[in-house]
Amino acid sequence: MKGRWAASLLAMILVSLTLTWSTGALGQFLANGPLPPVPVPPDNPQTDAKVRLGAQLYFDTRLSADNTISCATCHAPKTGWSNPHPTDTGIRGQVGGRNSGTILNAAYMRVQFWDGRAATLEEQAVGPIHNPIEMGETLENVVRKLNGIPGYRAQFNTVFGTDANPDGIAKAIAAFERTVVTGPAPYDRWLAGEKSAMTPAAVRGMNLFNGKGHCSPCHSGPAFSDQGYHNIGAGMDRKDPDLGREVVTKDPRDRGRFKTPGLRNCALTPPYLHTGSEKTLADVIAYYDRGGIANPNLDPLMLPLNLTSREKADLVAFLEALTGTQPNITPPALPEAGPAQEGGSR
Amino acid sequence: MKTLRIALAAAIAAATLLALRPDPTGAVPVFARKYGLNCTNCHSGFPRLNDWGQRFRANGYRLPDRENEEKTVLESPPPFALRTSHGYTYERFENGAEGTNASGFRVHGLDVLSAGVIAPHVSYLMVYPPQLAESRGVQGQEGTIEMASVVFSGLGSPWLNVRAGRFEPAYAAFSVKRHLSITPYEIYDYAFPGGSPFSETQEGIEVTGSSRGFAYAAGLLNGSATNRSSDGPSDAYARASMVIGAGEGQTAGQRIGVTGYLGRARPLEGLTDLQTYSRLGVDASLNLKQVNLAAQWLYGQDPKALWGPGFADDACWSGFFAELSWQPLVECVAFARYDLVNGPAANEEDITRLTGGGRYYFADNLALHLEYSRRTLDTPASDDPTEDLATARLDIGF
Repeated sequence: MKGRWAASLLAMILVSLTLTWSTGALGQFLANGPLPPVPVPPDNPQTDAKVRLGAQLYFDTRLSADNTISCATCHAPKTGWSNPHPTDTGIRGQVGGRNSGTILNAAYMRVQFWDGRAATLEEQAVGPIHNPIEMGETLENVVRKLNGIPGYRAQFNTVFGTDANPDGIAKAIAAFERTVVTGPAPYDRWLAGEKSAMTPAAVRGMNLFNGKGHCSPCHSGPAFSDQGYHNIGAGMDRKDPDLGREVVTKDPRDRGRFKTPGLRNCALTPPYLHTGSEKTLADVIAYYDRGGIANPNLDPLMLPLNLTSREKADLVAFLEALTGTQPNITPPALPEAGPAQEGGSR
Repeated sequence: MKTLRIALAAAIAAATLLALRPDPTGAVPVFARKYGLNCTNCHSGFPRLNDWGQRFRANGYRLPDRENEEKTVLESPPPFALRTSHGYTYERFENGAEGTNASGFRVHGLDVLSAGVIAPHVSYLMVYPPQLAESRGVQGQEGTIEMASVVFSGLGSPWLNVRAGRFEPAYAAFSVKRHLSITPYEIYDYAFPGGSPFSETQEGIEVTGSSRGFAYAAGLLNGSATNRSSDGPSDAYARASMVIGAGEGQTAGQRIGVTGYLGRARPLEGLTDLQTYSRLGVDASLNLKQVNLAAQWLYGQDPKALWGPGFADDACWSGFFAELSWQPLVECVAFARYDLVNGPAANEEDITRLTGGGRYYFADNLALHLEYSRRTLDTPASDDPTEDLATARLDIGF
């Protein structure tokens, strides 16, 4: 009788396991699968004209107070649509406090900026314009400048049916940024069955990424980000550490927490972490291997990893295999200034 | 029995199939399947927990700081897993001029595991080894509930977690259920006749908590199996530990701990009243990169009545083990251990054990386990009885 009960229980478990197997990945964390189509908000549909306008605005230094800084200054295509320096340098040589995140695949992030203070790409797009350290301009003045440039004014009227305004500027730049996305990476091709797409080292690194490296609980999902906020200790040993998400929420539990960046194309976007303090991917792995920097709010899952040299190299190989085909975008020709615009911005 | 054999054969076949299937995540038993993570997230040399796994367990099988994202058992894949091992084992027993051998291919038991989150702050773990009849090719086991506990975790703060049911109490600083070797920690297996050694799970209730490296545990247990049902819970214990450096002292950080245990038990034979006995333990787990040194010293003091008529005085005994392990790569781990038990003076028997071995992981959930161990019972006789064990087996969990 006992044997029958045991057999029934085993059979039930086998059926359960088989069902689990047949229904594919059921993990709590999102699978690190291929990128889906770019999400587009209903109130800002993509059009070619809007994207063209957005591209011009993105590369135009006239959006800054002294006409020296554009979006592309800190998010340059040649450097992975990010800044190769630890932190930004804005107008008049002012140095910012955080590393510039890449625009590549920013469209897949639910919130923008390291502290998540912008809920949408549209909100993010105009943030640096009126940031006093970055572009140092007022939106009112930018609107005035753009409407003084016939080429822009005409395009805004074509796209939005109105002269340039903050809403249009935000939507156009965001629409352009939604085209700055990458194609399949070797990892995606490997997932699709092309087993030669990743090197053996990268495959080992992938297993470490999902295991001993403790990467995937935070770097999960198609963009390799859980879209959450975590305190990994970076910069917390400084005299006045960046408070991160706490600045936005005013919640002390958010002290030192920053948005989990996506990892696709990370090989193109050094330096790393919001501090820009880690120069290479190997440095980042070494940082995590040490368990981060201790502080009262350190994420409890930040722990020393005891990785060997080979394992560190394998993880780097995997991260490099996340580099997708790059968008074919070249800086567009910009509308020439109108008569009133010659000679300065204000 | 035929049905059971068929089910067992199917289980092993499915285990092999699942273990060898090409899966980019390699996710395996209950929790790995739930989270879509590899075993090595929580285990450094499965089944040994690493610091991540230790924090996960201490937090009631929930990821610390991500509790709001937890899915319950009803929202997760079926919360079942199986673990079994099979392979070749050679054993030799020598006692003076006599010696016997036992060797062959064997299935070394089977565990059915189930675990998950039931509700916010409430989770459970159950381990059920089904009854297996002993035969030359199958290691017999009694069908029982080895563990069945509910955990109430994070009750207001990390300082208060409550575990109730049948569980592995925290007084065993090093888990017997999740250690690297097959052979037991001798000092954890040592007890007066009929008594409950540290290696056994117990029924009771345990409170635990931790913060900034300090952890405590205290519990009330049914206690010795020699007690009567009418005796009620009779044993209590407390443990405190401290970790220096980042980690939990599993594979990172340096941990030291102290444990006290006070129990009341009846002798296996005779009509003596409940007798009070005690244990005191000190342990350390030291880590240097991929190397871990785990050591436990334990002292026991038992009333003479618990050991039987041959004892004129109370029995005092002590012992320790020290285990060195090295995991040069995630795929393999090697270990060596020395066990010593200085038994009570009256029985003039000490135990020593030398163990060495390693595990190689073909996959996270499939390990080749190699181990050699020699146990010697030091007696006044000129030829001490010895036991030698050499085994090569596959350890599978899925």
